[in-house]
Amino acid sequence: MLLVGVAAAAAADARKPEYRETERSLWSLQPRSQPAVPEFAAAEETSWARSPIDAFVLRKLAENSLRPAPQADRVTLIRRLYFDLWGLPPSPADIADFVNDSNTDAYEKLVDRLLASPHYGERWAQHWLDGVRFAETEGFEYDRHLAGMWRYRDYVIESLNSDKPYDEFVREQIAGDEIGPENHETLIAAGLHRLGAVRRNAGNQEVASSRNEVLTERTDIIGSAFLGLTVGCARCHDHMFDPIRQRDYYRLQAFMAATEENNIVLATEEEQKAWKALVKEKEDEIKELRKKLDELSGEEKGKLHQKIRNLEVSLPDPLPTIATVKNDYENQTPIHVLERGDYSKKKEQVGPRVLGVLLPDGTPELDAYRKNLRISLADWLTAPDHPLTARVMVNRIWLYHFGSGIVNTPNDFGFNGDKPSHPELLDYLANQLVAGGWRQKPIHRMILLSNAYRQSSDSPVAEAAVQKDPENRLLWRFSRRRLEAEEIRDAMLAVSGKLNPKAGGQSIMVPVDEQLVELLYKPAQWKEPEDVSQNYRRSVYLIAKRNLRLPFMEVFDQPAMLTSCARRQSSTHAPQALELMNGPLANGLAEVFAGRLRREVGDDPAQLVERAYLLAAGRMPAPGELRPAVEFLKTQPLRELALAIFNLNDFLYVN
Amino acid sequence: MLEHVRFTRNRREFLRDAFCGFGSLAMADILQRESLRAASTANALAPKPPHMPAKAKSVIFLFMAGGPSHVETWDPKPLLNELDGEPRPKEFGEAKYQFVKPDAKLLGTKRTFQKYGKAGIEVSDLFPHMAKCVDDLAILRSCHGDMVVHSAAQYELWTGRIVPGFPSMGSWVCYGLGSESESLPAFVVMPDPDGALEAGQPMYGNGFLPAVFQPTMFRPGDRPVLNLDLPQGVSLEERRKTIDLIRQLNEATLNPGDDEFNARLKAYDLAFKMQTEAPEVLDIRNEPQETLDLYGVGKEPTHDYGRRCLLARRLVEKGVRFVCVVSGGGPGNLQWDAHDDIEENHLRMAAQTDQPVAALLQDLKRRGMLDSTLVLWGGEFGRSPEAQGGKGRDHHNLGFTMWLAGGGIQGGQVVGATDAIGLRAVENPIHFRDLHTTMLHQLGLDQDKLNYLHLGRNERLTQIHGRVVREIV
Repeated sequence: MLLVGVAAAAAADARKPEYRETERSLWSLQPRSQPAVPEFAAAEETSWARSPIDAFVLRKLAENSLRPAPQADRVTLIRRLYFDLWGLPPSPADIADFVNDSNTDAYEKLVDRLLASPHYGERWAQHWLDGVRFAETEGFEYDRHLAGMWRYRDYVIESLNSDKPYDEFVREQIAGDEIGPENHETLIAAGLHRLGAVRRNAGNQEVASSRNEVLTERTDIIGSAFLGLTVGCARCHDHMFDPIRQRDYYRLQAFMAATEENNIVLATEEEQKAWKALVKEKEDEIKELRKKLDELSGEEKGKLHQKIRNLEVSLPDPLPTIATVKNDYENQTPIHVLERGDYSKKKEQVGPRVLGVLLPDGTPELDAYRKNLRISLADWLTAPDHPLTARVMVNRIWLYHFGSGIVNTPNDFGFNGDKPSHPELLDYLANQLVAGGWRQKPIHRMILLSNAYRQSSDSPVAEAAVQKDPENRLLWRFSRRRLEAEEIRDAMLAVSGKLNPKAGGQSIMVPVDEQLVELLYKPAQWKEPEDVSQNYRRSVYLIAKRNLRLPFMEVFDQPAMLTSCARRQSSTHAPQALELMNGPLANGLAEVFAGRLRREVGDDPAQLVERAYLLAAGRMPAPGELRPAVEFLKTQPLRELALAIFNLNDFLYVN
Repeated sequence: MLEHVRFTRNRREFLRDAFCGFGSLAMADILQRESLRAASTANALAPKPPHMPAKAKSVIFLFMAGGPSHVETWDPKPLLNELDGEPRPKEFGEAKYQFVKPDAKLLGTKRTFQKYGKAGIEVSDLFPHMAKCVDDLAILRSCHGDMVVHSAAQYELWTGRIVPGFPSMGSWVCYGLGSESESLPAFVVMPDPDGALEAGQPMYGNGFLPAVFQPTMFRPGDRPVLNLDLPQGVSLEERRKTIDLIRQLNEATLNPGDDEFNARLKAYDLAFKMQTEAPEVLDIRNEPQETLDLYGVGKEPTHDYGRRCLLARRLVEKGVRFVCVVSGGGPGNLQWDAHDDIEENHLRMAAQTDQPVAALLQDLKRRGMLDSTLVLWGGEFGRSPEAQGGKGRDHHNLGFTMWLAGGGIQGGQVVGATDAIGLRAVENPIHFRDLHTTMLHQLGLDQDKLNYLHLGRNERLTQIHGRVVREIV
């Protein structure tokens, strides 16, 4: 009797669909459409809607009785393009060249030149790094520095610069060690799995708990960065809004059951031996000195402390290393559904399976002990007809160009996320990405050449438009934006002429308030470069250290590098003003900027002011600006004018 | 050169042109509407009404970092002394520690306890000053958390999660209530000059909340706020002129209805105000000698913690929302992290902090501020009933003591209890989330309404619902 009952229940269960029709109807899970490009009758409209992007944008505007803003002037456009693609201001000569270029393709040429430059990768890598919460240290108590983690940053920059197809970019990060166990580039890419925070401590390591934390990090990021779904919500229970069961979450995790840390040292055995001997010698010395600390007091003790610190700082840099992962099949973690996500409350064991809502009901799991599981995960993610991957990526590209996405919740394409403002445009762009071999630069180019992108940030229809679309989702003008933290620092360096353009390599720890270093658990971790010109490298090359963020970056909304950030905040508050008025970076560079101005134009106050505006704001000062600035220079040092320039809205914002 | 590069027209001018004659009326209307819309975002730190009637306006967290022993301080365990040197009797159950092994021996305490206050609450001889304030304290003897290592436990204490990346309670409170002070930061952490804690900066941070809710970390010494000082060689008068120029230049192209740029102008005014007014608040030299003596300022070993507690009072007095005064930093033994020798460590740490803490409570009370200031004392966990290495105690998260005072808390009572050896909270257990919920409740904040959408979830301070500790509110 009992057996019959069980069988009947199982049969009933089999008839019950895994996912309801309403769940499967989520817009972002539907196959991409092949939308027809809208056509227009009026001449004014057809001339604006030259490209498909513009046609889609214009139709939405027209449906809402709005119209686009006029085209921005060239001075505005070149500054917009430079910051957008390079994160740097255009030089006065660049501006003059562009403004004076009478060729009809001047704008196209400028776009192509900027996209072809390595600075493009330096700027756009930051967007990706934010999304995968890139950091080079493990956080928690030791905040251990991961030797060679910077190579992942360079990998992203170089991949963007070479316009590596996005499907390949994804595959290498998800499964680079499986695809090319000997290939440095793909091994570095798989460093993706090392980017989450890792708890380590002395004594009881709570191994099972820690392993669960690591697997959680690695699973959640695949949801946020690649799928644009809040998969992490299903760790403790079935997703509250989206068709992701708790079981789906652990099935996704099961693709990484065998994934373990792997640090590949790129040095001969002899080199490694010599390095270890050197480290041991210094560590022994430190240990000996430490013993003496207790016997001393006051000044003597302080001196010894300093000596120990110096020794710690002088420990040799790690040998060249690739921070990546490998599969350790013998020790792979059996993946269970965990009650409330608690590692000690194991329920049934599960095998790998991609999100069930995108599979026919009843699709079996893969064999949990199959080799190279992550390749199959990557294959699934990068299938040309995957409904999410391409949409999520083109939406990010759109978002970083326009300041808001077609879907304005770039990491949440679920029921609770934002609905696309231009669903057909989103599909059109995603189709173009896939059809173009997943190359991103053609998508950038298409967007940048559109009339939508070239609009002024002022609109004659502002009155009606603000009422209908206060957030400018329909793009009735270009949205002004404040520069991001890295852009502000880089622009200050560029404007003052101090920028060190060197690309790539080990990350830099710039001088920072001593007290902040003392707030590290191991202050000796902070090692300033011997070559001071390194302090003026672009911000993307500064170390991403979880337990010490630069106050300058923090105050201008740099994300905390602990969870995926697809869209930065842009806040306005007094500590930003304090940083730009009293901070060491602003004041140091104001001095340098003043020196540059003096060198370039001499002593004439009006010329100094004009040059300063041209360098920093990309335009000449208005009379209402020139007058007070010249007056100011009669009594105040040029350095103070230079500092004021760093505080201008037209320096800190892009129109 | 480049004369044809015309400066960007300001928006007012642009609109005037665009709307030709009938512009002024329509424009005035837009400008007004735009400012209404942006008003909600421009000043995120403007004071906000609480969700429900509040008893407390501010919080001072006296963070005893490293984990003070409950059995040496607020939770006397005579049986522990009787069982000194014995293994833990089986009936008390299991516990996981960081270092101590299951076969470790119980360690009695050398501390003695006496009854104080109207309710006759037992307090250890480590805290003769605090003992006199016991009628104001609600002593929570049944606190517990989930993690037994510093970093993760500190994250849980501060953010409700055992991993970094979530906003701290200070950031959440400022997000919920804004700031009452324009010239001071809303959320201040005063670390111990001896050094950092294991969980590092992310423990105090704003996580995914906007940067405006980040903590201001005070540095040791007389000028604690970063960037509040002018660079060397620049006078305030000179800098005032620079700020005036910044305003003039930014106003030259300003559309009066541009809220974001107006907020930026205001930020400069505030920054200047902070620069001129904050140093006075931060300067304790004008406090009467009697007050300095009360806090133990100017004598060792209380000077530093006393100075910081006094600063905490001065900050709260000026409307700062959340202040944390950390005791302990750097290597474990400079925290309450008494692995080697509980006596040496706790006598030293208590001597540094007991008088200043008691002084803070008395000072708040005599100024009529205690009613509106919630004071929290405690660490990320307690210490093991077992000995570590003979004289020390290991970390211990299953049962330990914290206390609350002021801010509407009913003092003079003990809540909850651990078992007879202080191993486990057995009566009325109070998890960190319950502590957080109680704190929010006193501030008039509801744990559900205080939320922020992040990666698809409405995140709150309490991941799992906490409960208000009803006995004390």
